[in-house]
Amino acid sequence: MPSNRRSFIKETGAALLATSLLPSVDLAAMADPVQKLTILHTNDVHSRLDPFPMDGSRNQGLGGVSARSALISLIRQEEEHVLLLDAGDIFQGTPYFNIYKGEPEIKAMTAMQYDAATMGNHDFDLGMENFATQLKHASFPILLSNYDFSGTELEGKTRPYKIFKKGSLQIGVFGIGIELKGLVPDNLYGKTVYQDPITVANTTATMLKKKGCDLVICLSHLGDRYTDNKVSDEVLAKESYDIDLIIGGHTHRFFEEPRKYTNKKGGDTVVNQVGFGGIQLGRLEYHFSHLAGKKLAKAHTVVVGKKTRE
Amino acid sequence: MIALLMPYAKDINATMNKVIGISGGNYNNNRPESEIGNFLADAYLQMASEKFGRKVDAGFMNAGGVRSYLSKGNITVGKIFEIMPFDNILVLQELKGSVLQAYLDKMAEDGGWPVSKGVTMVIRNKKATQVMINGKPLDANTVYVVAHSDYIANGGGDCDMLRSVPQINKGYLMRDAIIDYVTKLTAEGKTIQPLIENRVTNAQ
Repeated sequence: MPSNRRSFIKETGAALLATSLLPSVDLAAMADPVQKLTILHTNDVHSRLDPFPMDGSRNQGLGGVSARSALISLIRQEEEHVLLLDAGDIFQGTPYFNIYKGEPEIKAMTAMQYDAATMGNHDFDLGMENFATQLKHASFPILLSNYDFSGTELEGKTRPYKIFKKGSLQIGVFGIGIELKGLVPDNLYGKTVYQDPITVANTTATMLKKKGCDLVICLSHLGDRYTDNKVSDEVLAKESYDIDLIIGGHTHRFFEEPRKYTNKKGGDTVVNQVGFGGIQLGRLEYHFSHLAGKKLAKAHTVVVGKKTRE
Repeated sequence: MIALLMPYAKDINATMNKVIGISGGNYNNNRPESEIGNFLADAYLQMASEKFGRKVDAGFMNAGGVRSYLSKGNITVGKIFEIMPFDNILVLQELKGSVLQAYLDKMAEDGGWPVSKGVTMVIRNKKATQVMINGKPLDANTVYVVAHSDYIANGGGDCDMLRSVPQINKGYLMRDAIIDYVTKLTAEGKTIQPLIENRVTNAQ
């Protein structure tokens, strides 16, 4: 599988390039310093702790927590401000989960210093009590703003959002889960109440902006888009006001590049997703400056495993 | 990271690397019909009729439940866990033809699900048409015995039409049914070959 490297949003790129040709570039940079933020992300890793087996299939040798961990460490050495996020379906898919119920998955994510994750439908597979048990191994929060877990084993075990401070920046991250009825067996989600993702996401994002967040990220397990009018990341992006970035999952889609939508405020809401199984690591680089504002300067997809290169 | 994983991996490899059969080719997971889907639906049909000791008309599974593929070469226990990681139970339901039609329509709407040999249908405008069950057109008043997962029988995959139909359940894991099916074919000296035979097609 080829590795992709693309910088795709260029609206301020030309202006920056022109400035950089002038001798006063250093003065300009000093007057309006740029702060970089690197967002690394995964989704639907599905208990893929080992690389895909060498069985002649197209994903053979790819993925695995050892390679991902090494890659993340390398990026952390290069970049000062890194956020590492996961969009759910951490669990289910290899015998590790059948036997150890998610313990090594969560321990590996803790070792890689994930900053936050949301829950996917398969994270309910051994029940909410099991998810709560495995969370004891997590040093990162599970973010969910549209599931009400009151009266369930997960009550008080997740939080709607978290604000991360990176240098002078404040990054607001919140989670959105998919409708569970018809997807997850009734007994596994019990009294969990699913609330409308669009309404909750918009309220949460606006609140985060009002709290002064420079960037608002939604970790979503809704799925990127559907042929019918089922709610999806695409629908959410178009209906949103204050969400800058949706890191998606569920549909296991390998995006060629992030998708950019015009939101209700006329601004950009970007959606990205990196397939499944930890085959790829998403890498988005945002630049923030006082005068130019924020922009997604680079977007790469890094293939994890033996063919890793950038 | 290797040290973290080692104690878990050691135990996993001991149980999961056991070879139970040989695959003669590569199985893909496509819509509306796939090699892996046909293999699984046939496994459920065959093992359900053996386990429950009665005639079963069809085996089904939800396309979203097919989680991996088979490659040419050794079939290990671990591979079956990847194909069917869920601890779902293989159950029987007796469905009136009209309910079966609604169920097949749901499959058609979702792009086609795996069906066992003897079942054919053409997806037209998101509906199941020209449905044949073991050589005869589907009859709205005939009762059909179908084998599938408790997940679907409980209304999963948006199969609300199945929720109220009683289930016959012997606690037989679907994964065990697949393992038993492969073991049985291997013991009989049969090769396990990928198969596409136009069970589910899209209308031209």
